[in-house]
Amino acid sequence: MKIKITRRALLAGTAATAGVTAFAGPWKHNRVWAQRTDKPILIGLTHDASGQFANSGQDEQRGTIMAIEEINAKGGVLGRKLSYIVADTETTPSTATRIAERMINRNEVAFIVGAIQSGVANAIGQVAQKYGVVYFNTNSSSPTEAGKDCQRVKFVWDGTGANFANAAAANAVKTFGKKWLLLTNDYVWGHNTSKATRTTAVQYGADVFDEILVPVGTRDFSPILLKIQQAKPDVVAAAVGGDDFKVMRQQTVDMKLDRKPAWLNNQQDWPDVYGLGIDSVFGVFGTTWYHKLDLPGVEDLVKKYQARWPDTRIDVPGNVFYNGYMAMHELAKAIERAGSTNNLKVIRALEGHKMSARDRLQHGDAYIDPVSHHVQQTIYMAMGNDKPVDKTDYFKILSWVGADDAKDKNEATDCKLQPLDKTPSYEM
Amino acid sequence: MDFLLYLLPHLLNGVALGLLFALIALGFMLIIGVMEVINLAHGSLFALGAYFALSLMTPDGGLKLGIAQLLFDLPIGWRYVIVLILAPIGVAVVGMGLEVCLRRTYGKDPLYGLLLTFGAALVLEELIRLTWGPTERFIPMPPSITGAVFIGDLIYSKYRFFASGFAILMIGLLWLFLEKTPYGALIKAGAHDSEMVRALGVNLTRLRLFVFGFGTALAAIAGIVMAPIWGVRPHVGVDAVVPAFVIIVLGGVGSFWGAVIAGLLVGMVVGLTGAYATDWSLIAMYILLILVVTFRARGLLGKKSVLEL
Repeated sequence: MKIKITRRALLAGTAATAGVTAFAGPWKHNRVWAQRTDKPILIGLTHDASGQFANSGQDEQRGTIMAIEEINAKGGVLGRKLSYIVADTETTPSTATRIAERMINRNEVAFIVGAIQSGVANAIGQVAQKYGVVYFNTNSSSPTEAGKDCQRVKFVWDGTGANFANAAAANAVKTFGKKWLLLTNDYVWGHNTSKATRTTAVQYGADVFDEILVPVGTRDFSPILLKIQQAKPDVVAAAVGGDDFKVMRQQTVDMKLDRKPAWLNNQQDWPDVYGLGIDSVFGVFGTTWYHKLDLPGVEDLVKKYQARWPDTRIDVPGNVFYNGYMAMHELAKAIERAGSTNNLKVIRALEGHKMSARDRLQHGDAYIDPVSHHVQQTIYMAMGNDKPVDKTDYFKILSWVGADDAKDKNEATDCKLQPLDKTPSYEM
Repeated sequence: MDFLLYLLPHLLNGVALGLLFALIALGFMLIIGVMEVINLAHGSLFALGAYFALSLMTPDGGLKLGIAQLLFDLPIGWRYVIVLILAPIGVAVVGMGLEVCLRRTYGKDPLYGLLLTFGAALVLEELIRLTWGPTERFIPMPPSITGAVFIGDLIYSKYRFFASGFAILMIGLLWLFLEKTPYGALIKAGAHDSEMVRALGVNLTRLRLFVFGFGTALAAIAGIVMAPIWGVRPHVGVDAVVPAFVIIVLGGVGSFWGAVIAGLLVGMVVGLTGAYATDWSLIAMYILLILVVTFRARGLLGKKSVLEL
């Protein structure tokens, strides 16, 4: 059979192909399928369920899911319900990359929320930026997340190692002494946190005489603890996380080295310590939230958590849950303010957004830094509680520092956000 | 002199670490030596031992049986002794179940056994997660073996002394069992020439079942002893199976003293690199493995391989 292609048919075919491509083409270009729809807004939840941060990942998940349920109970966002899919990022950056790609290209999520480990957060951030998908890094706290690895689509909700160092270092030099030793987990968060601690400590007169690198996966800290004893520092500033931290803490307490020298543990994630007993908390550390803060709304949140998650072994919410929970609520509010799920409008609604202390259940106001996309917020310094009021009262809050005092000044120079017009646009 | 004073605690710590590594590898050595099965579930059985101990040591451990209250009412020291007996027996039963599953792989490509035990490791880890949850757990220990010991200016963990002593005891008991009892002779004979043992009327199926159960009980004992040092979490077994494998290859497959010496060597290397080049401390045992295997493919005390004939 002979097919004759006329000029008109060719032009019509080309136009039709171009039209279909514009709508159905690769993500990079445009996604406008769901405009003016009442179908649920799909959110990809990237939480670790296995690997070193599995426990924290599941706690974070309790926060994001509880927030989604609360939002839906109030009618959703822009008249649409929120729905979600969850994937285990396995505390592994390569898995996180694969999952982010799949969520965006196959599941067509509108937003991605979740991360504990910096490598995972960075991996998801890179994929999200490629497609323009707004991504909330809820709990990874490497200073680079809001520094050199910042992205236009990425928003960082936890305090970073630099924030905690800023909040603690001056006081620690004054109280404990000037001879400092750094203990650094040998991966991106550890290195960047120790770098920030060193800078701040030196600024306040400390002499950082040694830095011990701790390989990820270290299970025996006895040689390191012996070395610390022999070096006799005034302060050990530790940037050790996840299972490594749990093992280190256990061995340090067992050797009775938890009182002397003074330990500055940067940040203490609640799931890493809860269930081990109050005695296992050692050193001075930072946190963004505590369930016994004497503030309106805190007790209510604890009750809601206990009603929703009666079977979890973590009886009360902690900072990791809190970051996930707050981030998800703020995402919904940002979509409402933007009046659309259009990513660029949501980004604009988030940049510079101020959050009251009352809404944040913290002592000070917070804001999303338009320069780094980092939530600048209150940082609490705490230590093990010697007078607990009940079995959940692990921390004694020593002091708190406001958003601007804890802020990492390097973010302004290190973070180079991609221009909005270079960020792919979509609406779901 | 200052150098020696600095070095001495690290040398002693290396020996203590080495004994613990040897303890971890004993069960693995027994199973691979007698049955020629690389039991990749060794780590999960190690973890299961710790979790069984958790359930028997504390009411928070998830054991809801009324009879358990009798155990919880006992002084903690006695409870710990009972746990050191009961928990390994429980894990041995699980291990024997695994051996029954393994039977169809005997005499076939060793890869089948490897894959089966790998699958079992994943299943056991998930079962632990489902039963006890993903959070870190803590096993209470008798106060007499916790806390610190002061040696001059240095502080060391009392528990590590106990754990190292216990490891020596276990190594000694296992050696006596293998060398001085008729059962040990049977096990060794089974490892050397299983067909001949069968021809002499020994029930080889039962022998293998016993050896696998015994090996997994040893893994459980190591898990209980290491729990206060490494902690208790569902994936803690991964931390045990890798060094166990390294130690067995390093010492020579099937060699009892090879495993003990390799454990001590690994402990020493990890301890000393931890002191002088901490960032190399994890990789150090693998470098040691490469060095030894490069010059002696069968490991330190391994039998002569076909390749060397």
